[in-house]
Amino acid sequence: MSAHEDHPYYHAHHFHSMEQQNASAKLGMWAFLVQELLFFSGLFMAYIAMRFFYPETFELVQHKNLLSIPWGATNTLVLLTSSLTMALGVRAAQMLPMVKNAEEQKLRKQLMNYLLVTCVFAGMFLVIKYIEYSHKIHDGLLPGTFYSYDGWQANIEGRDFGGVVGSGGEMIMTEAPQIFFSVYFMMTGVHGLHVLIGVGVILWLYLRALRGEFNRENYAAVENVGLYWHLVDLIWIFLFPLLYLVQ
Amino acid sequence: MSSHDHAEHHVTPLKVYFGVYGTLLFLTVVTVGISYLGMPPTLSIIVAMAVASVKAFFVATWFMHLAHDTKFNILFFIASLWFIGVFFIFTVNDLASRGRVMKSSDTFEYRIEKAAKTPIK
Repeated sequence: MSAHEDHPYYHAHHFHSMEQQNASAKLGMWAFLVQELLFFSGLFMAYIAMRFFYPETFELVQHKNLLSIPWGATNTLVLLTSSLTMALGVRAAQMLPMVKNAEEQKLRKQLMNYLLVTCVFAGMFLVIKYIEYSHKIHDGLLPGTFYSYDGWQANIEGRDFGGVVGSGGEMIMTEAPQIFFSVYFMMTGVHGLHVLIGVGVILWLYLRALRGEFNRENYAAVENVGLYWHLVDLIWIFLFPLLYLVQ
Repeated sequence: MSSHDHAEHHVTPLKVYFGVYGTLLFLTVVTVGISYLGMPPTLSIIVAMAVASVKAFFVATWFMHLAHDTKFNILFFIASLWFIGVFFIFTVNDLASRGRVMKSSDTFEYRIEKAAKTPIK
């Protein structure tokens, strides 16, 4: 018969200490993050392969400014800031006292505010992505068979090459302009889905914080969701230059 | 009680968080600014990825607390980068050494051409 008095409810019996439980939880999250990295590496490989075989579609997008660098840069700053507020939230959770005194109330409010602000910034990111996507849909810049953009000018011998005239009057040709947008929508779409899921999980943390579930011994959930959020930010840090900045 | 007790309870000072944040903002400005310099594609990819890697280092080390974490978690993270590297290097090496296989081989024109070059025995 186990003695329940010496185990707080959040300390599972198969761990001999909270330190061991927290270390296991963190390792579990790192295992998941490693999986996420490998998962996204498949998409990055698709980018590399498509860029290798159809470099001109990537150059053309830069040439015609079809992707808005200001919006992309703003999204980068938004996500970086959300990473900061998430880290500050974890810090607040780390300092929560064991007893529910005035200091605990203050720090708990701080934690909840930081979680909420992180969600607000994530929401801003998604709104900006929505704005960008609407422009693309409006212009017909869509992946694969949905592609219907007619902003190119090249028309050689009655055939539409989907090319464009360069600054020197030379023809910049591409035979498959929709390929860039297949890559773009796949990568930013899957990333955006991860942001959305992150918002849901952070709101779950907010509810748990509201119920006073966290203290300086039991904050592993906050820290591990923080790790996930930083990874989402990390992936965007690589996505942004590859899609928006590189000629 | 093992030594990693202290690692978990290490509270990072606010100064460090804001310092890292400021560095990340600065590096974002740098990476956008550099893209306007009009470098050739290969170089601009290398530079952009280098800046992104520095930003990733800052996020991983301080925001993700790897600086104060057990070595094993750091190893886990680095190991995934290693395997991603293996994946990229071997695949790119293959892609780079086969030419435009998807376009040039086994099309009707290619086979006609090849047939025309084969001497009649």
